[in-house]
Amino acid sequence: MAAHLPRYLLRRVLQAVPLLLGVLVVNFFLIHLAPGDPIYLLAGDGGDEPYFAAMRQKYGLDKPLPVQLGLYLLGVVQGEFGYSFAYARPVFEVIAARLPPTLLLMGVSIVLSTVVGVWLGVVCARRPNSPVERSVLVATLLGYGCPAFWLGQLLVLLFAVRLGWFPVQGMVNARADYEGLARLSDIARHLALPVATLSVLHLALVTRLTRTGLREELGKDYVRTARAKGLPTPSVVNRHALRNALLPVVTVVGADIGTLFTGAVLTEIVFAWPGLGRLLYDATLSRDYPLLMGIFLLVGTSVILTNIVTDVAYAVLDPRVRYT
Amino acid sequence: MASALTQPFTTLPGEVGAPRRTPRWWNRFVRQPTAVVGLALLLAVAAVALLAPWLAPGDPLTGIGPPLQPPSPAHPLGTDDLGRDILSQLLHGARVSLLVGLATAVIATLVGIVVGGLAGFFGRWVDDALMRLTEFVLVLPRFFLAIIVTTFFGGSLLTIVLLLGLTFWPSTARLLRAQILSLREREFVVAARAVGAAEPAILTRQVLPNAMPPVLVNASLQVGGAILIEAGLSFLGLGDRSQVSWGYMLNSAQPFILIAWWMSLFPGLALLLTVVAVNLVADGLNDAWNPQLSDEAWR
Amino acid sequence: MIPQQPSSFLARALRGGPGRLLWLTLMLIIAMTPMVAAQGTPEPRDGGTLVVSIASDPGHFNPAITTGFTQHVVADSMFNGLVGLDANLQPVPDLAESWEISDDGRVYTFYLRPDVAWHDGMPFTSADVKFSFEEVLLKYHSRTAAGLGAVLESIETPDDLTVVMTFTGPYAPLLRRLDVTEAPIIPKHIYEGIEDPTTAEANLKPVGTGPFKFVAYAQGDQVTLEANEDYFKEGLPRLDRVVFRVIPEANSALQALQSGEVDYAWNVTPAQIQLLQASPDLETATASASPGGALCINTMAFNLENEPLDQLEVRQAIYHALDRERMLEQIQFGAGKIATGPISSAMSDFYSADVTAYPYDPERAMELLDDAGLTPDENGVRLTLVFPHPNTFDRYGELIREQLGAVGIAVEDVSLDFNAATDRVFLDRDFDLAIVSYCNGADPEIGVRRVYDSRNIRPIPFSNAAAYSNPEVDALFDEAATTLNADERAAHYAEIQRILTADVPYMWLIETEGIRAFRPEFHDFKHWSGHFAETAWTENAAE
Repeated sequence: MAAHLPRYLLRRVLQAVPLLLGVLVVNFFLIHLAPGDPIYLLAGDGGDEPYFAAMRQKYGLDKPLPVQLGLYLLGVVQGEFGYSFAYARPVFEVIAARLPPTLLLMGVSIVLSTVVGVWLGVVCARRPNSPVERSVLVATLLGYGCPAFWLGQLLVLLFAVRLGWFPVQGMVNARADYEGLARLSDIARHLALPVATLSVLHLALVTRLTRTGLREELGKDYVRTARAKGLPTPSVVNRHALRNALLPVVTVVGADIGTLFTGAVLTEIVFAWPGLGRLLYDATLSRDYPLLMGIFLLVGTSVILTNIVTDVAYAVLDPRVRYT
Repeated sequence: MASALTQPFTTLPGEVGAPRRTPRWWNRFVRQPTAVVGLALLLAVAAVALLAPWLAPGDPLTGIGPPLQPPSPAHPLGTDDLGRDILSQLLHGARVSLLVGLATAVIATLVGIVVGGLAGFFGRWVDDALMRLTEFVLVLPRFFLAIIVTTFFGGSLLTIVLLLGLTFWPSTARLLRAQILSLREREFVVAARAVGAAEPAILTRQVLPNAMPPVLVNASLQVGGAILIEAGLSFLGLGDRSQVSWGYMLNSAQPFILIAWWMSLFPGLALLLTVVAVNLVADGLNDAWNPQLSDEAWR
Repeated sequence: MIPQQPSSFLARALRGGPGRLLWLTLMLIIAMTPMVAAQGTPEPRDGGTLVVSIASDPGHFNPAITTGFTQHVVADSMFNGLVGLDANLQPVPDLAESWEISDDGRVYTFYLRPDVAWHDGMPFTSADVKFSFEEVLLKYHSRTAAGLGAVLESIETPDDLTVVMTFTGPYAPLLRRLDVTEAPIIPKHIYEGIEDPTTAEANLKPVGTGPFKFVAYAQGDQVTLEANEDYFKEGLPRLDRVVFRVIPEANSALQALQSGEVDYAWNVTPAQIQLLQASPDLETATASASPGGALCINTMAFNLENEPLDQLEVRQAIYHALDRERMLEQIQFGAGKIATGPISSAMSDFYSADVTAYPYDPERAMELLDDAGLTPDENGVRLTLVFPHPNTFDRYGELIREQLGAVGIAVEDVSLDFNAATDRVFLDRDFDLAIVSYCNGADPEIGVRRVYDSRNIRPIPFSNAAAYSNPEVDALFDEAATTLNADERAAHYAEIQRILTADVPYMWLIETEGIRAFRPEFHDFKHWSGHFAETAWTENAAE
């Protein structure tokens, strides 16, 4: 099996190229054909025809669309992603500056909700129909149905405004220049509420998947046999059943890495978190074409890569899967 | 491609076990108290949505009282900043939320059935091409796309429903395709083929009905997902402003969240309850159609 | 005009009549706070940090290449203009300590301060002024490029401290368009030789002459400035540090203000006045000007190219059908006043009250519509109008739909994002009614004329949306712009206001005011200016 892996990976990566190209082309036309002209936004409430014409020429917006698309793709191949209108800086730099906060928020949220979710799922599966399971299930249902932005606001009202335990917004304290550990703890305090908001849905999903998967596995013949032989339940759960039960969890975690890029828009806005989701929202409002294209390129690439990695992880966990 | 690689990405994958369509599924469904509660809630919301014009006559977006009044006998859920009745908005808002949820799920399921069915049934290059298309749609970030489209082209209900329907279908298509691939080799299909049944007949008579349960479960989960996305867009002010929806109400409530809790609390709860109800029903259907789990006594 | 004083708050509230009791109560509460504090208020102190919330990320700090509100709110504190504007928007010295105007009104001579240095220590000279205008402002600052580009003949620098601007004809409004927002001066020695100043690295490490110096920028998060110890204005600035914090949600910004994470909020919405009322530990101020625009009037345009809006009676009827008191109370929450015409009442030099008024009168509206032959059909609808508007005006859209509906006019209320709405109204001209926040600017020549001049009927944003064409009005604007005598100018503008309110090509709804909220230990902000923190100080400054 291992021998097939490089070929499989190569094939998947090659397949990804037309996929990405498609994403770029579709988004390019979507963005450029939409009403609204970035030049007017740049001009504010001033400007006249000569000014608009000069700016259009400067940003290459005077050329026919297919030519603009061609030039853009040519640039991408050479690692040039253009200049953001609003930031008046290379798109690459603008995105790079916003990536660490998003990755921090996403990463902490995914790790935390996956670990806690698997644990809760195991607890539930091992105590079916217990009060513990019932309450966890009700909680996951509520978590699954709760609009994230609404939950975020409730958390702010309760824990930040009323109780004052956590800050209302931002990633660092604006007044203090913390260094070292103090800075880390400052960021952690700012991270608490947005991570909680962002994790609820994912936590609910992982908990339910683990519970369902594990219950199913535990009902299978091999578990019964092991149990009949007198093996203690925890060992059965840990050694065999959990491994199989986690397969769907891997898929969902993989997919959520893709959606957490996007799922962060509302959370980032509510908590004034300086991440990519907000950057996209701002870029949309300001018709910042090159920046929008750059973000789509990044998100598309990350989703495709995540899919490949997920599939490989799946295969590693489940020997029945073969690369074809 | 192995079937495990084609598991749905974004839904609770129902265990694709041995889907026997039995007349007993309804009995199994009503035996679960949670499913019954969910169904009752959902029917209540649907009734409210249908009867809104009679329950709360008049335009919910016309001011009829003093602004920002807390709940009182005259306005049981209070009024908003323009003196409009929150209860009346809530009742009318149920229509938009349910409509968006149902229409999205219907579109996604129909497109998914066509794509997944063709791919699973014909295989070869049809399968290959359609699966590439599916991957392509999966790579488009849905919420980003929704923000851009509603910002650029305006957030009419039609736009939102089409956009969501046309991005929700890949999970349906993959699910159905996987089902078909596994069902095609089952005894009863092989038997039908052996007695000379035509392939299209096998597909529509034997395979599709048996493959539908997980697809329908998936569709019911999509209802909840679409309702939440519509609410998120409306919260950003990108929804359909011509009709009141719960997300629209939450958006309007923003500046008043500290002084008029009723503006934000009730639409939020309505959203929460509706999505929970939808998910309970989906769970109930899943368990009812997937007897392995519920019938298996595990002690 | 900038009612920081309790007395002017009260006067304003009392003038408003019984409908504004709510506003009065609020103002009383707010007014009490500074009066109590005033008894023990010490002298201004030096030191302390001010944290300011802004709604979006500035992205760069070159105020000469943009008219963007956020960029100016942040960058203006690091730069200066030749001339500043006081609270009444009257010119006061800034980089220029004095000036002379030739008798024919064509030549302006500015005498620069000799003691000004750039933040990097280089001396500031007239060459910087010439360079800023010729190479940057007239090319990239859209308002200055459009406003001065056509009329400015030359800029001469006879010596290091003298700048002479010559115009093609008499040009009255110049002094009001040279402040740090309209014409910030940037360093020649930094930008000279850079091919494209809009993408220059220097835009991220700004070097200015202003009261604060750049320290650090965390994109999307915050911008940190510190006091310029060598600032040319004696004793200023008083604060040690100013930190701008990006908080996109206005609601979060106010919560951060309440919790003490932020001291000053630019992005307060009128709806939040209710919330401020519930927080007596915060102060509010209103200002009719800001780096985003001065003296703004929420104005509705009729598309005069569409029937039946070309009929005067129909326009008058619609104006009478609008309950602007309710808009002021329920949308603006009292922040502003009902507009009477095209020039803001706050522009005291040129405002005229001698105009036709259109009080709320639905009965009269229906009579006028009947007279115009627009009678209700079986559904009670006389007429259907399409009203596309930016989503920032959603609340107006809802009220207007309700109020016009009451007289039998169905409104198709289309909410779009700001950019798409601009496109639809000004480029596609696909509307019956439109709404724009037209800002007068410090002089009518800056922001009033463009709305009514028939030569400005063209497919560019914020032009003459109604397509109103009246040669008499065009001629009056021309004369007013080239007349230096203030009384004569005022007479021309009074006549313009009389004609426009009689013709009603537009409906002037509300003169809006910007609302700022801040923590009470801070004092002496210039709320109307990009230099808002130049004189500010805090009681919490370390001794």
